[in-house]
Amino acid sequence: MPENRGLVPLLDRHRMLVCVGSGGVGKTTVAAALALAAAQRGRRTLCLTIDPARRLANSLGLDSMPPEQVTIAPEWLREHGVELGRGSLTVMMLDTKHTFDELVRSKASSAESRDRILNNHLYQYISTHLAGTQSYMAMEKVLMVEEDDSYDTIVLDTPPMHHALDFFEAPERMVEVIDSPALRGLVQAMQTSGRFSLNVVARSIGAVLRTIGRITGGPLLEEMAGLVSAMNELFGGFQERAGRVLEQMRSSRFGYIAVSTPASLRWSEVDVLTDRMRERGLRTDALVINRVHPARGRLPELGDVASLLSARGIELGASGPERVLQAAREESALAERQKQELEQLQERLRAWGAPIQVTVPAFAVDVHHPERLREVAGFLCGA
Amino acid sequence: MLENQRFIFVTGKGGVGKTTVSAALGAHLAAAGRRTLVVVPTGTEKAARLLGVPAIGNTPVEVRPNLYAVHIDPEDAMREYGLMVLKSRLLYDTLFDNRYVRGFFRGVPGLREWALLGKAWFLSGGASGEQQRSGKEGSESSFDVVVLDAPATGHGMEVLRVPRVIMDVAPGGRLRADAEAAWATLTDPAQSAMVLVSLAEELPVTETLELAHTLADEMGLPIGALVLNMLKSPLFSPTERATLLDAPVPTFPEGAEVALYYAVRRASSETVQEESANRLEELRLPTVRLPLLPEEPSGFSDVEGLAGHF
Repeated sequence: MPENRGLVPLLDRHRMLVCVGSGGVGKTTVAAALALAAAQRGRRTLCLTIDPARRLANSLGLDSMPPEQVTIAPEWLREHGVELGRGSLTVMMLDTKHTFDELVRSKASSAESRDRILNNHLYQYISTHLAGTQSYMAMEKVLMVEEDDSYDTIVLDTPPMHHALDFFEAPERMVEVIDSPALRGLVQAMQTSGRFSLNVVARSIGAVLRTIGRITGGPLLEEMAGLVSAMNELFGGFQERAGRVLEQMRSSRFGYIAVSTPASLRWSEVDVLTDRMRERGLRTDALVINRVHPARGRLPELGDVASLLSARGIELGASGPERVLQAAREESALAERQKQELEQLQERLRAWGAPIQVTVPAFAVDVHHPERLREVAGFLCGA
Repeated sequence: MLENQRFIFVTGKGGVGKTTVSAALGAHLAAAGRRTLVVVPTGTEKAARLLGVPAIGNTPVEVRPNLYAVHIDPEDAMREYGLMVLKSRLLYDTLFDNRYVRGFFRGVPGLREWALLGKAWFLSGGASGEQQRSGKEGSESSFDVVVLDAPATGHGMEVLRVPRVIMDVAPGGRLRADAEAAWATLTDPAQSAMVLVSLAEELPVTETLELAHTLADEMGLPIGALVLNMLKSPLFSPTERATLLDAPVPTFPEGAEVALYYAVRRASSETVQEESANRLEELRLPTVRLPLLPEEPSGFSDVEGLAGHF
């Protein structure tokens, strides 16, 4: 039987490793641990996370996740038992507004049009608060970092959206919006003089925009037109980039790791995700089953538990051995149930084209120390 | 608990059991005599199993006396909203079944969130709060309370922010008027309650504390209750836990050590559970504690059992 190397083969095959999965499965931790594993194997690694989790930052010796690339000091890692050799570990958090601003700055043709966008009221909201923007910008960031050749391996965490599907649909949606005649009509309606007039628009589109205006109110439509026309020159760039991103994401440079927990597998969330990915021509290269409760051997008799406790000098209150056995019953029931479920899943998992499968045990304490992150990295690599 | 509001927004970190809690809260309110509608935007298969119905579709399905469930699809809701506002099929067709617009609405950030929130709010009675009850006789359209099984934290916050965004960017018009009315309902503790669901574990608690701060202090939304889900009943005292955690156990135990191995894990998780739950006390919120069930909740009897804790 070949040695189980977990996700290590993926590190050899792909430069970009994308962790996908629904919310709450530990995707960010898996991404960080995988990046650590890559760095331990001598790769210059960038981990791009979406989650501002301070505790993840703490587990890497930082106060918070930085919006700029920050390389973890090798000395600090060594103190915590992690030897990187030639490798390095750099982390950064996706800052949606920062990325959007950066994009506007790099694509705007003049300082004037740049300021017109950055100062637009509507833009302020779209670039910070609204759903969907984060996915667009995650996508955008993927392209930016891919062009950066100072990294051998780039690990990406994806937004914690339901089923994480938005991440893959974001560029398509964006192209749809940009392609819609309604949007082009808005651009046209914003005359070169900077005044808004629907009279200059083709009658059919004008009618549509007027109807939209009945819902939104005219001034909002005007503001939208202002923003859209200011961003018009960026849109060509956006559209081309969104197309390119999808194209690239299908290439073998990208590897996909679905992260799940026994509970999320039960609800077939991962199946939906992989199906949708397949529709887009994306493979699922590996499955990480996180937080699996470890099942151990058969439970002993009460008498043996009592003898063991007294032999070890473990003093508990009244009915100590009974409660130890009770704890063992409850905890092992959970573990055994998960084990059975995972066995039943094997057939379903094979149907995906036999991706690599890795399980990470549930720790009794949350993962937030560098030692723990290293431990998870070990499990990801088949330890 | 929560028997007086008409709009309840259930949110929390992914994986904490929001759908189960929404179903249980719905069952509780229905048992208290309120006509209750549980709104499920995603994961309808799971909700249907919990509520013991074959499926949850776009029209409210009666689960039990007084308890209904419905699925809101944001895109359908957007179309309905258009039709309602425009009051004309012709204009509606102009707008939605129009090749010029195709794709436009699907991609505009925030619109789907508004459609979800707006529709759920409308089902709870909309602007007047009474309009639905007095205006329509049909059993499917009049509810005392809507329980929205909202998206997880990050996305859930975006949903709640949308009315404010609309109020900030739209100087006037129907959209703004509706957003203002919805916001007035959401911020009124007599009418609405945010319900935070958390596990008593480190990471979920940290996120819950942040969420509570954002909701209450930044957005001014009323938090009606905290639900601590999947609690294990402690088997060991704090001293016993410390003793057990000091006991050396091999990773692969044998014989009687197997029991000790599990007991040490249990002691550790009980410690984390207690410390985490204590951290939430600073919120001073009415708290519902739901026990961890021996099996994953899978039917209405489980939901009913949990409902008794509200």
